[in-house]
Amino acid sequence: MNGTSLGGVLGVIALIVVLSTGVPIGVALGLVGLVGMCVLLGVEPALIKSGVIVFDTMSRYELGVLPLFLLMAHLCFAANASRDFFNAAACLFGHRRGGLALASVGACAGFGAISGSSLATAATIGLVALPEMRQRGYSDALATGAVAAGGTLGQAVPPSGALIVFGIIAEQSIGKLFTAAIVPAIAQMLLYFLAIILLCRFRPNIAPPTERVGWAERGRAILRIGDIVLLIVLVIGGIALGWFTPSEAASVGALGALLLCARRRRLSWSTLGTALSETLRTSGMIYVVLIGALIFSAFVSCTGLTDEVTGLLAAVGGNRILTLFVITAVLLLLGSLLDGLALMLLMTPILMPAVVNLGLSPIWFGIFLVRAMEIGFVHPPIGMNLYVIQNIVPDVPLGRIFKGVLPFLAADFVHLLLLIFVPALVLALPRMLSQ
Amino acid sequence: MSASPHPEAPANAPRGPLFYVGSVALLTAMVTDAGSVIGRHLGMRPLGSIELVQAAILVTSSAALVAAVLARKHARVHLLVGRVGAHSQLFLERLASVLSALFFFALSAGAIWIAHDEWYAHEQSELLHIPYALLRLIAIGAVLGAALVLVRQAAERLSR
Repeated sequence: MNGTSLGGVLGVIALIVVLSTGVPIGVALGLVGLVGMCVLLGVEPALIKSGVIVFDTMSRYELGVLPLFLLMAHLCFAANASRDFFNAAACLFGHRRGGLALASVGACAGFGAISGSSLATAATIGLVALPEMRQRGYSDALATGAVAAGGTLGQAVPPSGALIVFGIIAEQSIGKLFTAAIVPAIAQMLLYFLAIILLCRFRPNIAPPTERVGWAERGRAILRIGDIVLLIVLVIGGIALGWFTPSEAASVGALGALLLCARRRRLSWSTLGTALSETLRTSGMIYVVLIGALIFSAFVSCTGLTDEVTGLLAAVGGNRILTLFVITAVLLLLGSLLDGLALMLLMTPILMPAVVNLGLSPIWFGIFLVRAMEIGFVHPPIGMNLYVIQNIVPDVPLGRIFKGVLPFLAADFVHLLLLIFVPALVLALPRMLSQ
Repeated sequence: MSASPHPEAPANAPRGPLFYVGSVALLTAMVTDAGSVIGRHLGMRPLGSIELVQAAILVTSSAALVAAVLARKHARVHLLVGRVGAHSQLFLERLASVLSALFFFALSAGAIWIAHDEWYAHEQSELLHIPYALLRLIAIGAVLGAALVLVRQAAERLSR
């Protein structure tokens, strides 16, 4: 290992130390990157590079996708989308054993297509679904586990905040990433369904069946989400079919959500103000993270660390599957120390060239990385979704929530293996649509 | 993404000029971009819409950046912070504020350097001739503003 590569390793160690002291992720990434570039290149080039990154990031047309999708999510939330999604799914599946848990996961997938965030999805669906499931005699472990794991669908289903950030950092098409995420997200949801069905088969008492709802009521519940489903199909379908770019889709989606709010008579100055204010604050936070991540990425590319990592991975013997297992183990291990966003921002510039060197698609890697980071959301010590759920049901101990998540964690590992062994799961749809 | 509300964060911050400027810019970007999509599908190509959206997004991101810092909304890793005593926690909070302020000042310095270098190049957008110098000034204002807010927050913490 030469001097500059060693500098890269020291930079990564310094980053982990700074991150663990609670310094904001964007600031930690940016500072370590900036100091590293000052050492390697000198103060002037480092400052100029940072200045270029600041202006380019803040004025980037493609990044408009971020505040606009956030606005769409906040407006749909104001339109009561989370409750309507859960009600519709509960009307359809609620009478089956474990049906409300299935409905929770389904509602998470539906709301995830609006929110793009694991935490927001777990929190909003949890608020609606958890009281209902507990009232109907569901075990706390199943109820909380289903919502905590289901929440991760928020980042898996497009439009996903994590995929937007990955697309910007890795310079990949956000439209392709969104299209590629569709099939894996459906597979993830189906695996969660399977976990619930198996759990209920072996331990029927954990999820008693509830009364069957008539077809008329089911029809009304489905009609109630018709407008939101139409908006989601228009936004995701429009990107997949090339009707509009992701940035345009975000504008169309936000405008559609505004009209939808008005049609549902839930649009007021207060709701619009809250949606805009929350959008601005969250966007600002993500902009800081992106600026920091791009500076850190510039530092990593100066160090030659990526060449070292590529060489190390090649030393595994060129066996793609074995190499991917090594990468997965590293991601899961680091995912126990860092939160998902930090993990993605740290590992993308380091692993991306090595993965491409293996002949793998960067789009596949984006989906795989987001999937691996989601797992960190549902297991201790980070497990942010677990804490979100415990905030909603403070009387359920964290240990019981984690116990409830375990079967879904098993489903997550099966899903990761599927992604590794069947990359077509990710790549087939974008390939098909681009023909 | 994990964005934990800071305990000192104002729950309902007053909506000042920053909120209105950012909101109007965001809504402008939304209407312009959606309008251009509709126009394109109706066979009318609106010229310069991307440039207008780009400028609106820059204003939005500038307002958003300062709004996030004002609201103390930051994505953090809680590995150590949540496990230390109150005294150490206060020390780590102060450290985070000081390092954040330093980072934003460094960013401001870099952005001012570039703006100074490009000032006489009279860069502007192709169709609508939007002057880049103005956009650069807005971005510098935001980063510098965020740095000053962070200095104030650090001073508040140090005085405790």
